[in-house]
Amino acid sequence: MPHRIISAAFAILFIISALTGCATQQPAAPVQVAADASAEPAFEPFHDIVDMAFVAGHVTIPMAENVMLIDARPYKPKYIQGHIPMAVSIPDSQFDKMTDKLPADKNSLLIFYCGGLKCKLSHKSAMKAEKLGYTNVKVFADGYPVWMADKAHYPAVSAEWVKSQIDKGADMVLVDSRPKKAKYDKGHIPSAISIPDTYFDDQKDQLPSDKNKLLVFYCGGLKCKLSHKSAAKAIDMGYTNVKVFADGYPAWVAYAGKASTATVAATAIKGGVEEGSIDHAEFRRIVTENPESIYLVDVRDADEFKKGSLKTAVNIPVDNLEEKIKTLPADRPIVFICGTGARSGESFYMVQDVRPELKNVFYLDGEMSFNKDGSFDLKKPI
Amino acid sequence: MFKKGLFIVTALIFLFSAVGVTFALEKGNDRKGKYTYRKVYKACNERGEVNSPKPPISPDAKTQAQWTRVFEKKDFADFGCKAEWDSLSEADLMDIYAYLHDHAADSPTPAKCK
Repeated sequence: MPHRIISAAFAILFIISALTGCATQQPAAPVQVAADASAEPAFEPFHDIVDMAFVAGHVTIPMAENVMLIDARPYKPKYIQGHIPMAVSIPDSQFDKMTDKLPADKNSLLIFYCGGLKCKLSHKSAMKAEKLGYTNVKVFADGYPVWMADKAHYPAVSAEWVKSQIDKGADMVLVDSRPKKAKYDKGHIPSAISIPDTYFDDQKDQLPSDKNKLLVFYCGGLKCKLSHKSAAKAIDMGYTNVKVFADGYPAWVAYAGKASTATVAATAIKGGVEEGSIDHAEFRRIVTENPESIYLVDVRDADEFKKGSLKTAVNIPVDNLEEKIKTLPADRPIVFICGTGARSGESFYMVQDVRPELKNVFYLDGEMSFNKDGSFDLKKPI
Repeated sequence: MFKKGLFIVTALIFLFSAVGVTFALEKGNDRKGKYTYRKVYKACNERGEVNSPKPPISPDAKTQAQWTRVFEKKDFADFGCKAEWDSLSEADLMDIYAYLHDHAADSPTPAKCK
């Protein structure tokens, strides 16, 4: 009898488990997937391809006047967060506007690269350069992934990236490789420690014991070798996450100086429940009492905006926001609105990502409908 | 004895339920997830792997349970753009999961990628 009961119990359990499984193992719904991701994209490759050894042979500090290594990927986020040292950023999408960055001598060696064998940007840019009359144009088709696969290589990063890491309190050790008295003591990037390259071996105990920690070396700009030499030494010591801010201190002063004048202190706007959202009562109060005190951006599509919005709102559809993000003012709080909080939330996070120095940014999280008289209804988010 | 058997069954059902809860995915921030999801395909498009910056799979292409299964298995092959997906942090993935799950076909607010 006990055996029968236990057997019955397991049978019931099996049936329940099977039913529960059915609830979570539904057949896959039809999925709209683009063309096979592993397929090679169809594009016309450039006729003159070079390998990594060729590129390595032409990367010098400083670069020779008649050689230019060009990163054809987007400036943000790709170039700023990592590029081949000494590479100049000329994104393919901006090529026509940035031809003044190319060397005047049309016989100069131009080497374009981008994100690897499936990336066509470097090929497209190389063809455009040849059309401009450049006679010595190459493409490093393996691109950035293959360059970085070499353990002796490290990426160079830009001032924007360094500042974003500092601003968000990243777990990073920033190392000033310049002479201490003559340079570091007179000015350095906030949070940087001084390990002059000349005294690297004597002072390397300042580096963290954790060999996986992010180390970023910098010195006096593109003609300065010190940060590169120190980075190579750190890699030899076994550090695995080493970067060089090759533009160095002069670029930091230029960038952070501008940024600091453009940044305003966050005013006391009451936030909502979700990160970055504005409190509903606070929003109603501001719109009623002092609407000009905020820069109100309606990120819905133009046809939706035309049907009604708030009187002081400007229309920047979320799909166009990234290209216009530089136009957002820094002198007053920015509040994004839309119909449900989805697009306005997306806009908030876009600003966090693309223009993080703007600290006074909010979005309205909730269902919002607009009346013809300029009034609005606001409900809590679903 | 029959009562004892029922007790065992009940106890096992509770145990299974508890284990299920323990393994449930922790959702991130769906607003952030929407931005991150679109950013993946913008970057992928700029890299040249896809012809459009629009994500190929909308949240309403699957049910909530199906999205949960995809992210539990971390099976992102159908999404393409492997390089971009591989570079996402765990937090990014949970944000994207929150966006897709909360706007799934059987959610209160199903969404398409416009």
